[in-house]
Amino acid sequence: MADKFNMKNPAVKRILQEVKEMQNNPSDDYMSLPLEDNIFEWQFAIRGPRDTEFEGGIYHGRIQLPPDYPLKPPSFMLLTPNGRFETQTKICLSISNYHPEHWQPSWSVRAALVALIAFMPTKPEGAVGSLDYSKEERTALAIKSRTHPPKYGNADRQRLIDEVHEYMLNKSPRVPECCAVTNNQEACKQSVMSDVEDQANIVTAATAEHSQAGEPEMVGNVHDMHVNANASPTEVRVSGELRLSTEPVVELIQTEQRNQEVRNNSTIREQTMPDDRGLTLLAVGLCVAIIALLIKKFLKSYWWIGA
Amino acid sequence: MDGSCDGGDGVVDAEWSCYRDDDIIQQQNAIQAEEALKIPFVGDKESLSALAAEYKTGSSILKAKIEVLDELYVAIRRTRGDGNCFFRSFMFSYLEHILETQDEAEVEHVLKNIEQCKKALLDLGYAEFTFEDFFSIFIELLESVIPGRDSSISIDTLIERSRDPLVSNYVVMFFRFVTSGEIRRRTDFFGPFIMGVSNGTVDQFCKTSVEPMGEESDHVHITALSDALGVPIRVVYLDRSSCDVGKTEVNHHDFIPSNCLLKEAGSETIEPSVVLLYRPGHYDILYPRLRSETPSL
Repeated sequence: MADKFNMKNPAVKRILQEVKEMQNNPSDDYMSLPLEDNIFEWQFAIRGPRDTEFEGGIYHGRIQLPPDYPLKPPSFMLLTPNGRFETQTKICLSISNYHPEHWQPSWSVRAALVALIAFMPTKPEGAVGSLDYSKEERTALAIKSRTHPPKYGNADRQRLIDEVHEYMLNKSPRVPECCAVTNNQEACKQSVMSDVEDQANIVTAATAEHSQAGEPEMVGNVHDMHVNANASPTEVRVSGELRLSTEPVVELIQTEQRNQEVRNNSTIREQTMPDDRGLTLLAVGLCVAIIALLIKKFLKSYWWIGA
Repeated sequence: MDGSCDGGDGVVDAEWSCYRDDDIIQQQNAIQAEEALKIPFVGDKESLSALAAEYKTGSSILKAKIEVLDELYVAIRRTRGDGNCFFRSFMFSYLEHILETQDEAEVEHVLKNIEQCKKALLDLGYAEFTFEDFFSIFIELLESVIPGRDSSISIDTLIERSRDPLVSNYVVMFFRFVTSGEIRRRTDFFGPFIMGVSNGTVDQFCKTSVEPMGEESDHVHITALSDALGVPIRVVYLDRSSCDVGKTEVNHHDFIPSNCLLKEAGSETIEPSVVLLYRPGHYDILYPRLRSETPSL
């Protein structure tokens, strides 16, 4: 991948560093990758923040990096209808190019995505590209967002969008049924910047570990990540089911799952015989979910006819 | 956070609401492009009479001060007024000084300090990939002004590089990282000054007034950069302030890094090699007369 680009160009060099860093330290909350033929164009998906009406939603978007990135900020655009930001419109974030005066080159695509997630539950206050839909509408959009990724751009871009969607589906639990929405918008707003900073710290630690990895490994890493994502839906589903009742257990399971992933990473080949129990659980879980959805749908349609 | 992109918040100011953020951004870009045509990042060396010409019809205080300046300084080199003028002036003035004096010891000393700055940023939690490119471009430029090496460059090439947006902006950004790192590292020292000028925290100040490109510099920035790199800086003030009686004087302030103070205590006074002319809102480079040229004061 690196051979194709002009490594003398510091923007290209920086962006490749960010790609590598992103791939070495994947997150459950977001996923972002550049197009294969243009690293200044990225696709991303973020997961709706927990305990908000966006929880469980998967929101796709594109990022454009300017030729003089990181001196100038990237611009962001959402593609999945979400009720907070207009789609296909550049959005107004202090971290995006709507406020070039606030952008700092020490930020990154990762930091910007973290900021974007934190921004979702904040009040739009009339900002350009913002929407103020009701909680119910947003929840409905969150559910819908999981069904299929948006159709956008050429075949290559679509393939990337689909890939990102698949990854995020496996990483994020479904929309909670009792959408208990807490009023933590102010808190979120205030924590935006500290979140960015935390992220920067994480990034530092991560880059320190991975800085010796060579450029050509990049493509290989992508594949590892996807194999990984497909290998662990079982655990994800289980933790998703348990979530509502026993939080600490979930924590345990998630840590367990992460350990599992680490092990998977080194022994991907041995994964051809997956855990039977897990598969059964997955099947049962899926059936329950499908039946629940069907019943819900039937009830809804009868209700409509009745009314 | 996003309040400033507000489209008018209820009170509809018809005229203002016509301007969407896009238009404003475009207008800002247009102003910058226009400014760029007027003067390169770093201008040509001009005799001090060019400065006098600017104020021909200006205030008598300024004219008197320029006469005083004329006794001490021989030339001026202007920099573009894009908010980065302090850093840009410092960059050129310092590198030109090294090119002329061939002071390899100074380069060694600064390289050591740059290494410290890098460590400080890492300790503060900055990801290395976010600043390493800026560091390496400055170090490359710094090493290229030492004469007698394969990579050595002439003054003309230095001017050319300083006008190249890529090199020039990356060096400015390098200084911004160094400045921010120094301020954050010494929060206790800089905190009170920052409270005085911005009413915010050290962190907010660095985020809004140091790290973003195009944010203007003041005492805090200059002190931090001078201390971090260990390079003394003299700033000469050309403004309307006047002394009550007698001879007109031009104020200046020397920013002397603390390690210099220790080293030089008792010995001769330090004459900063980087001399900048400050007029409210802008910095340019000044060239002192050589001692032999200095008219008796």
